Amino acid sequence: MKEALALQSRVAAHPEARCWFLAWSPGGALLASCGGDRAVRIWGREGSGWVCRAVLSDGHQRTVRRVAWSPCGSYLASASFDATTCIWKRCEDGFECVTTLEGHENEVKSVAWAPSGSLLATCSRDKSVWVWEVDEEEEYECVSVLNSHTQDVKHVVWHPNQELLASASYDDTVKLYHEEEDDWVCCATLEGHESTVWSVAFDGSGERLASCSDDKTVRIWQCYRPGNEEGVACSGTDPTWKCVCNLSGYHTRTIYDVAWCRLTGALATACGDDAIRVFEESTSSSPQQQQQPTFSLTAHVPRAHSQDVNCVAWNPKEPGLLASCSDDGEIAFWKYQQPEGC
Amino acid sequence: MASPFSGVLQLTDLDDYIGPSQECIKPVKVEKKPGKAAAKIKIEADGSYFQITQDGEAQKLEKAKITLNDCLACSGCITSAESVLITQQSHEEFYKTLAFNKTAAPNEQKLVVVSVSPQSRASLAAKCKMSILETAKKLTAFLKSQGVHYVFDTTFSRNFSLLESQKEFVKRFRKQSEDKKALPMLASACPGWICYAEKTHGSFIIPYISTTKSPQQIMGSLIKGHFAEQQHLTPNKIYHVTVMPCYDKKLEASRPDFFNQEYQTRDVDCVITTGEVLKLLEQERVSLPDVDPAPLDTISATEEELTGHSGGGSGGYLEHIYKYAAKELFGIEVDTIQYKPLKNKDFQEVTLEKDGVVLLQFALAYGFRNIQNLVQKLKRGKSPYHYVEVMACPSGCLNGGGQIKVESESSKDWLQQVEKLYESLKTETPEENWTVTALYEQWLGGPESEKARKALHTEYHAVEKASAGFNIKW
Repeated sequence: MKEALALQSRVAAHPEARCWFLAWSPGGALLASCGGDRAVRIWGREGSGWVCRAVLSDGHQRTVRRVAWSPCGSYLASASFDATTCIWKRCEDGFECVTTLEGHENEVKSVAWAPSGSLLATCSRDKSVWVWEVDEEEEYECVSVLNSHTQDVKHVVWHPNQELLASASYDDTVKLYHEEEDDWVCCATLEGHESTVWSVAFDGSGERLASCSDDKTVRIWQCYRPGNEEGVACSGTDPTWKCVCNLSGYHTRTIYDVAWCRLTGALATACGDDAIRVFEESTSSSPQQQQQPTFSLTAHVPRAHSQDVNCVAWNPKEPGLLASCSDDGEIAFWKYQQPEGC
Repeated sequence: MASPFSGVLQLTDLDDYIGPSQECIKPVKVEKKPGKAAAKIKIEADGSYFQITQDGEAQKLEKAKITLNDCLACSGCITSAESVLITQQSHEEFYKTLAFNKTAAPNEQKLVVVSVSPQSRASLAAKCKMSILETAKKLTAFLKSQGVHYVFDTTFSRNFSLLESQKEFVKRFRKQSEDKKALPMLASACPGWICYAEKTHGSFIIPYISTTKSPQQIMGSLIKGHFAEQQHLTPNKIYHVTVMPCYDKKLEASRPDFFNQEYQTRDVDCVITTGEVLKLLEQERVSLPDVDPAPLDTISATEEELTGHSGGGSGGYLEHIYKYAAKELFGIEVDTIQYKPLKNKDFQEVTLEKDGVVLLQFALAYGFRNIQNLVQKLKRGKSPYHYVEVMACPSGCLNGGGQIKVESESSKDWLQQVEKLYESLKTETPEENWTVTALYEQWLGGPESEKARKALHTEYHAVEKASAGFNIKW
């Protein structure tokens, strides 16, 4: 089974620091990494390996916790423990910081760009989720401050094609938000995890959401719209997100990240037990099974890194190319082979 | 329990899960008593601590207490402030004073004065389905039946707030070329905004904030100054309670700036919210509509019946200053004001133009997101405004956190009812109020006197962020 995920190369990306997060550029050619050395690094392929193309080191005073590319690929946002978010613009000889978003009271934990590119979300230890709007002059304005969570917010992510935002928190819940009149409101709370939810990922269609937690489980939530055939109750016009699958017993420590490949549908996890795992949905045609999907473990690399794995990221263009990073400061590149008969 | 403070305060690390123990920087003064070094500490069943000396002698130890003022002066947190507020500024405390008055010797009794905000009155009127006047009369009757001596309306003291803001703005406008921080002038009546500004933007933002006191605090000066004199009482012999739409007003009343050192008394002794008034009514099993109305009290006998100010439920600062400044600076009479909503209904602009030239540009910015954008614009030197009416609550003061909430209706419909009632009163301009004009002379010795400055203006204090040692930097 191990061969299903084969190591291609490994780089010491943020030496003597943690490497916290990775983000593929929309075209898949570049990978951005960030870490405890307060820097963002941009990686590109050279021959069979990966080399550092740029170091963005003068934007933050503390750890850079997360990076996100704009859908057009021209901007990069970096969220830092220094309570700011930097917006970097791609220019001829690298990247320049064009704006610093201030406002969070303390550590910014995550940042994400909406599919339209005109909205940005950030979240923080201050328990709030902020939605920002970008205008033509690259001016950022805060359009909403959402105080729905009762604890540290770990992660924000947008729906792949709607203006629907999801956040994961230390309060063990996932919350979803959408715009109503001229403000954003929390429209759903996904309860079930028994400890901190570290990350959430939508599948390519946006009909499903995967969440991973300190409770060592991954849960799959399915969207049911009002009047659905299955008879799942909805309140008003908002859909209900129901947990349809709970992947437990696979991970031995906190699961820090989950990534859903938009090309293959494979689900990868990054775990505090140093391992990377890949799951795939067992092929099913009957609608009953659709409502109770089963996922099976198709790859498991126990010592993928020498310390906690913080992030896994599927390349958006090359099926099966997976990048991972760890507290050991390294980035690893993997090739995932879909097992036969799966 | 959800924090009752306005959204702005909830964000400023006020109830962060990192507890007060970690970020609280309040040094606890330890009174060292001479004695032998080795001692045992014994904890009694009631939670009190005793120090046992080697001779076996027990001595009760003092509890370390954090006051609300300590919390206000600290950038650490405000978690503890909530419990402090519950003990110092609550309807229970108000009732304690009323109970005390019933049993105390005549020379120890206090004169109890309650000043009700027009926003609270509108909320109660909506809840009881009564007119504003009926509500005022019945509330006066209820409070007096509980032992309150006088019930006033803070609309009266708002006249001073508006007049002083108007004058302050024109002064600032005229010196904008020599003083880069004269404009924009930012409103000062909202304590949530003030607390946020002091704690998070400190010395950068403070110079922009109007020095004019809020209606609550001017009422405080008026009651403990002029009114006390009239009654031949020292300020500490009056117990002054305000009824406010907002919890943050409790923080405002507790500011050291509003404490009279000489008489050891606050200008406003206790702030209760509209919701707490409702609790009092429920506690006393009184239905306000059933109360027989009582005549309204007035500061001076010449006052007419209830009036309001135009310009919305947050006090009408923008509108009053705008009209006054247009006349005073440019000789333009403005009848109606055209508000232009920008990103959302809580951020609106008003512009005075002449021959295509912008003479005045004002804005109102309510709620945290709009405050945030305003502050960021200011920091980048991109704010085009001369004046901004800043309020911490979305939709302003009528939607304050201390107002009555109902389950039966949508919050939007409910707010509309409160707004409608609030606006049902006849409006007057502060210049038209002759009692106010007379008080400037009788009480303050003229509008430009030192006494007027002290009674009607205040100052702000930057709270520097402490670099807490517990906060791991990596």
